[in-house]
Order: sequence, then structure tokens, then C-alpha cells
Amino acid sequence: MTSGASDTDGAARIVRDVVCGFCGLGCDDLEVAVTGRAIAPRRACPEAARLLARTDAPPPSARIAGTPASLEDAAAAAARHLAASRSAVFSGLGADLEGLRRLYDIAMVAGASLDHAASAGLFANLERLARRGWIAATLAEVRNRCDVLVVLGADPASAFAHFFERAMPSAPVPADADAAPLFVPHAGGRSVVIVGGPLSDTSRAQLTRHDVVEITVPEDRIATAAAALSAALAGRATEALAGLPPGVAEALALLAGRLKAARYGVLTWNAATLPPEDAAAVAGAAAEAVDILNVTTRAAVFPLGGRDNVTGAHQLALWRFGYPLRTVVGAGTARHVPDLYATATALADADLLLHASAFRPDPPPGFDRGPVIALAHPDTAFAREPEVFIPVGTPGVDHAGHVFRMDSVICLPLQGLRPAELPSVAAAARAILAALGRAA
Amino acid sequence: MRTRITGGRVFDPANAIIDQVRDILIEDGRIIADAPPAPGEDVIDATGAIVLAGGIDLHSHIAGGKVNLGRLLMNEDRLLHPEPFGDFCGCGGGRAAPTTHATGCRYSQMGYTAVFEPAVVGANARHAHLEMADIPNIDTGGFLVLGNDDFLLRLIAQGEGQQAVNDYVAWMLRATQCCAIKIVNPGGINAFKFNGRALDLDETGPFYGLTPRRILNTLQRAVSELGVPHPIHLHGCNLGVPGNVKTTLATIGASEGFPLHLTHIQFHSYGTEGDRHFSSGSAEIAEAVNANPHISVDVGQIMFGQTVTASADLMSQYRNHKIADPKKWIGMDIEMDAACGVVPFNYRDTSFVNALQWAIGLELFLLIEDPWRVYLTTDHPNGGPFTSYPHLIRLLMDKPFRDDHLGRIHKAARAHTRLAEISREYTLEEIAVVTRAAPARTLGLRDRGHLGPGARGDVVLYEEQPDREAMFAAPRLVLKDGKVVVVNGEVVELVDGRTYAVHPPYDPLMDKRLERWFDEAVGLKASHYRIADGEIRNGQGPEIVELDP
Repeated sequence: MTSGASDTDGAARIVRDVVCGFCGLGCDDLEVAVTGRAIAPRRACPEAARLLARTDAPPPSARIAGTPASLEDAAAAAARHLAASRSAVFSGLGADLEGLRRLYDIAMVAGASLDHAASAGLFANLERLARRGWIAATLAEVRNRCDVLVVLGADPASAFAHFFERAMPSAPVPADADAAPLFVPHAGGRSVVIVGGPLSDTSRAQLTRHDVVEITVPEDRIATAAAALSAALAGRATEALAGLPPGVAEALALLAGRLKAARYGVLTWNAATLPPEDAAAVAGAAAEAVDILNVTTRAAVFPLGGRDNVTGAHQLALWRFGYPLRTVVGAGTARHVPDLYATATALADADLLLHASAFRPDPPPGFDRGPVIALAHPDTAFAREPEVFIPVGTPGVDHAGHVFRMDSVICLPLQGLRPAELPSVAAAARAILAALGRAA
Repeated sequence: MRTRITGGRVFDPANAIIDQVRDILIEDGRIIADAPPAPGEDVIDATGAIVLAGGIDLHSHIAGGKVNLGRLLMNEDRLLHPEPFGDFCGCGGGRAAPTTHATGCRYSQMGYTAVFEPAVVGANARHAHLEMADIPNIDTGGFLVLGNDDFLLRLIAQGEGQQAVNDYVAWMLRATQCCAIKIVNPGGINAFKFNGRALDLDETGPFYGLTPRRILNTLQRAVSELGVPHPIHLHGCNLGVPGNVKTTLATIGASEGFPLHLTHIQFHSYGTEGDRHFSSGSAEIAEAVNANPHISVDVGQIMFGQTVTASADLMSQYRNHKIADPKKWIGMDIEMDAACGVVPFNYRDTSFVNALQWAIGLELFLLIEDPWRVYLTTDHPNGGPFTSYPHLIRLLMDKPFRDDHLGRIHKAARAHTRLAEISREYTLEEIAVVTRAAPARTLGLRDRGHLGPGARGDVVLYEEQPDREAMFAAPRLVLKDGKVVVVNGEVVELVDGRTYAVHPPYDPLMDKRLERWFDEAVGLKASHYRIADGEIRNGQGPEIVELDP
């Protein structure tokens, strides 16, 4: 499926061009050394290195109420709980598309609400995207066209280590006709303006060849600053400027001028790390700014996010059910009520929790109203032993699979790096479906 | 396992069989030559029914990123149109942008067995294929959008020659597992990324200095030399712009003898006459199509009501977004490949413009004489949802019905159309051509669109009745690969479809060039852009369309 050119280095097999499915940025140039079942990352950001590393230790077996069990027995126990449930919640949904398809199949048979562990940022963005829309760009467009990048909020590199490297490379020396950026007229012509910040030293070092401006704004004033920026672009005098630190309003007015003069301005933010009450407002202000800019020049938003294939879970829900996540399905219907079916709210009325987390050992949310079924990373530390635990392999480590990149356009093929001993989420879910009497 | 369909009136224009009562025999999913009845064969009594091959829609936006954005914007439509309850419900629904399962079921229920997604953006191809794999009961295929991709425009601008372009086009077709090439607003989508707001056929675009004509001709030559059966599928310049009839006529003249398919031509047939500076150009377009046998069209008929428009043509969609209804829309510049724009529309018969668009589409259907060069589409969902096909068929087949509808549209629009003067009514034979035989032929699908030996066992029995809308909305029986999937308009079985692709050969040097391009410019490995055969239809792999050397 993927190239994954490999050769051997002593006892280890070196695998190159590994695709990463963890943070959502979709880097595909990682490198690992595989020895038996052990994986040692050689080229990866710290987060990916942590999540890719594996020892040779044998994986745990499935458990029913803490007692080791076969996959078939664990699946049968899960199916019994699901069949008895009247109000199931599926949380986590950290899985590849193949796993998600089968989990959604179970939800259709047994009835369940669906939400992803990392959907909070997505839903803040949907406040704008689904209700009014926006103009966006994908990564390669930002990489090649963006001459003014505005970051609203924290340094993107804190969650997406290689963001600047991939989105804003500077022109190589000597010049190379194939190398990004292809459409930024002057090599030093890119500007990066962060409203919020601060930038880390690593980010500053990565951006030395760009013109970098840091407009320091405390976290709880980012939304105000974003509103002020779009107001300045619209030529409105606004009370939104009130509450901003001294000098910020002036700096934003300058930034507005710079964006208007830009050929292709891009506004980016990570809704997941902004204060929850402000995230939707920041997305709205960024989209508004882009709307205004596009009357005379070009501009686009580039929302950051997409951890653990939340974008894939969202896309699949749309093409399967016609609604985003936070939808309850079953008995031939689907009902989308985001306020009701966000995991935390849905759990208050649930009688069963099925939690899927294949990318990282994130435990299920606290729940004591009924049984817990965990299709989870083998290293998961549970606060209470689930009624059914099926340890699952990680897509892109133990088996192949597909995940979406954060820009929701690129769907990436993950590759298995070592012999799989654990079932994938898809295989575990198929076993549950079979026990429910449904062929997958 | 043999099935005999007996006693029906067979319309199989590809084999020159028109309204003959005869048996159709299916064995192992394919039609075989007629043979004497054998013991143990299944017999389907088709008395009173019209027997046609499975329907083929060659232009319907059913899968991929822009359709999913349409679904996101059309939650109200989804709520109003849930899938019917029962054993074959997929918990989905929607009319303008239906879910994958609903798409397969609704098409199947009308007697369609193959549908082609006409705008796959390379970067989004894997997504489109994952959606297609989730569509039951119909075979699918994608048309790859080229003509605004930076790699191609650079090849042409640098004068690298036709062979390099051919190698690139072949590489892209394989990488994206598509079965034809679509051009959307040649050079225009790319120009919009450089803030160009319009680009006519002979205007020079920004950065690369190329005209749409040059891009079009280069790609026409490429598909012709590669032997891709379907000619360039062109969404031309100036979509929706009053006066674009001139551009469309110039485009027909620009095709240099290469075959050319002009898609949703209704949106490209507008004049500027009258007080409102919006008029029908259908007579001129029909005349040009009639005079140029290398031109084929699909109409992109508009149907009144709520829908959503989804197009790679962000330049045009940006122009249109102010008339979004409801007021929301999404645009996106995509990955050095293309773009997309998704804008909800509500076509109203009380609107002068919409009413005239409706009339222009019907005029085109009725004034273009050769049904083998007109394919029935609404450009779903852009002109209207595909579920309106039975109504459209009745408008074409039933003059009094058409006149009745004409009498209800905006008065001034009525005065601007010649529709009332056109007495033509489509025959069943012509419907069989425009919905089956002709699209199969242009796509190079030799085993589809007809009922001769070797054809796929996709057969539809429609109850003969004067109300053609009722007739085509709910077939008595639909067989897919010889298996009954629909009875009396209800789905009774779900089967897996297949996905068509063409795999023309190319010089392996193109691998090296594109590895470098993807590494350095795009920032994604070429090997991860490419879709492996095993990724198609859950491991089934693509069905390869033979090249036409």
C-alpha cells in the first residue's frame, strides 16, 4: 500500500517514509527501526516518537471483568452487554476508517450515540463552517502560496511539531525549481504573525528566514483580538478593541493592512487549545476576515486539529448518516443533537459505554452507570477494570489503515510496521458484530 | 444458474432491437445468447413490461469531499428526507446530498446500475473511493479533474511536449484510479488562486501565461493518444455567466477535430438579450451540436426546488455565493490540484432566471437531434437531485405535461422560450439511448448499456403505463449482475458494486519526476498519493476499462 522502503541495519529493519496518523498533520517521512516486534523511532517528532515506540513484550490478552479471555469470548460478552443496553454511548473513536466503519455498523445494530475524544475543537469550528461556511486552503496551498500567515492563539508547534516546517518552508538555497514555496515572489517575502503566542524558541529558529511578528495577547483575549482584526479589515471602529493590552489594537490595524496587501493571506488557529468559550468566536472572526479579504485579494483559513483521525470520524459520519458526530444512530434513524450527544452529556443518561482508542492509551471517560467495553491501546491504565477489554493494535504500527489529514481533503494510507498480534479495531468490531448476529 | 426474462417488450437500441417481444437469458451474471428453455432455469414473466438495460448516469456528484461538505450544509434537507425504515435502511437519507447508502438505494430503485462521479480531485481521490465503496447496488467510477493542476500547467508552459503531458496524465489516472479526464474551467480555478476573477477561452491566465484553449487542446490530445475511451469531459469557461453562449460556441470550434464532451451545457447556453439581459442560447448551441458529430453533451437540467451546488469551479462558485439559499457556502483551494465551492441553491419557478434555465435545458434536450450525443443528467445535485429523473423523463416524453408545467413558470420567462412551439416527444427508444446505450458507448463500457450476449446482467423491467414519471420511478424489477435487487420500486437486496478505472501505460521516468515534485512542492510522498488496486472497493480492486487505441 505504501512504499515504506526498508533495508536492514544489523538486526534491525529500517522503514522509511512512514505515515503518521497521530496529531492530524499527516507527516509521511518518518523513519523507524524494527527489531522483531520492537520499534525504535529514528526520525519523528517527540509526540510521534513516544506513540510509535514499542518493546518486544507480548501483548496482553482480552479480559472479561478482569479475567483473561479469547477475542471471541470477549466479543460475545461485549455483544451481550450491547444487546441489553437501551442507551449506549460510543466514545473515543480513535481508530482508522476501517475500524470506524465497523464501529458505526455496531452502533446501527445496537443503537448508540457517537462522539470522538478530540471533537471539541471540531465542533467549535462547525459553529461557523456548518452554519455559514468559510473559504479554506489545504496544506500544499499554504505551503506554496501563503505570503502572510496569521496564527490566532498558541504556537501551533506545541501540538503539531512540524507545522511550520511543512506549511511555511523558506525557499531553498541554491534555488530549486520544484521546491516550495512556488508562488511567493521573494524568498524572504513570507510573513508570520502570531496573535497570542508566545512562539517557542524552536519555532523562532525554524522561522528565522521569515519576517516574524509576535503580537502578545493573553489567552483569554484572543477572541477579542480576532474580532478586532476582522473589524479593522472591515474598516469598522469597534468596542472590541477594549480590553486589549496596550499597543495591540495598533498592531492589529497594521496587520490588517498587511493582509490586505498580501496575495494570499492565511489565518490559522487550533480550536482545541483556545478557551472553550472563545474557540467558536475565533473561528468566526477568522472566517469573517477571510471573507472580507477575498473581495479584493485572496485569503483562506487553515484550521488546525485532527488528532487521532477525528477528521475521518467526522467525514464518515457525514457520508454514512448525513450528520456530523454527536449523533445517535440505530433502529434505522439518525438524530443529530450536538448538545445532547457530546460524550460528557450523553454519559449522564447512558447505560453502557463503548470506548475505542487505538492510537494512544487514553482511558475511557469516568462512567459508573453501566458496563464499559474498551477497544483500547494495550497500555491503557483503567481507573476501573472494564467489563470487557479488548486490546487493539495501533493503525500505522500494527496494521494498515486510512486516516484523514487535518485539512479534511487528504486521506492517508497507514502501513503496518511489525507483525500484528493484536486485532485491529475493525477486527475486534467485526467479532462483536458476528456475536450480535450481523455479518460485517 | 440461468434466468429467463420472458414476454417483455425489449428496447435495446445498441443492438438495433426496438420494441420486440423476446426473451433475455442471464447466466452467471451475464446475458447469454437466446437458447431453448432448459430445466431448472428461473423464469421471470415480463409480460406488460418494457425491458431495458440498467441505467447509467455519467455525471452525478455522489462521492468525495465536496459532496460531504454539501451534506454538512444540508442538514435540514437530510432531516426532511430520511431513508425509509426497513431491512434496507442505512440510518441515512437526504435528497440534495444523500448519504452513500441512500444514494445506492435511490438510484437502484429507479433502475440505474452505474453512476459516475464526474469531479474527483486527485488529492481527494482516496476519500472519493472510500465513499464509492460504501455505495451499494451501483457500479461507479470517477473522472479525474485536470487542467488547473500546477504540475500540468508548468509542463505545458515550459513547452515540454505532448509526450510528457501524456505520461503525466497516465500517471495521474493510475494514481487516482479514475476512468476519464474532466476539465473544470480550464486554467480558471488556478487563476482564481492568483486572484483572477474570470478567464475566457482565449484569455491568458496568470503566472503560467496559458489560455484555456491551449490547456483544453493539450489534454484532448493526451486522452486521445492514450486511448482513454471517454473524450475530455469539459465544464467550460464562464459557467452561469449571461452571454456565455459565445464562449461555448467558440469552444465547440476549438476542439480541433478531437471528440469533446460538453457537460451540463445548460449552464453554458445563456445569451444577453431582452430587458433582463438574460436569454436562451439553446437554438445556437443545438445547431452547433447538430452540425458537429464529434461533440456530445449532457444537459444538467435544472429542477425546481431546494438543492445544493457542488463544483470544483471555485472561480464561478465565488461569483455565485451571494445568491446562496440558505445563506451559507464553503470554498476551498485544494492541494495544487483544483478547488471546490459548495453553494446551496433553491431554484424557483417564480424566478425569471431559474424558470428560463429550466426552459433552456428542455430546449436543448429537444432541439439536439441525435440522442446518441445527449445524456440525461441534472448534474446532480447542481441542477437538481437525481431522484427527479422520472419527472424529467416525463417532461421529455409528454408534450401536454410539459406544456402544463410551462404554463406555471414565471410569465416573462415563458415569453422568452420557444418551448411551446417544440412538439417533439422522446420515444422509449430515445430514453433507452440517453439513459443507457449512449453513456455506455462514450465511456467505453462494452458490456453495459445493452442487452446482447456478453453484457452484464443488469436488466430493468418497467411497467408500461401512460404516466411516464410513475413508470420510471418504480420499476417492476431491477436485476444487478443477474440478481434481483429491486421489486416494484422497493430495494429487496443489497449487493456490492464495482469501480471502473483506466490504466494507460507511461514512461517510468515520470515516477521519478513526480516523486521529486510531491516531495518538494506538495509536501506529501508520491507513493502515499497513489491509490493501490487493493484500496478500491474493500480489496476487490478496480474494474479496468479497455483502452481504445
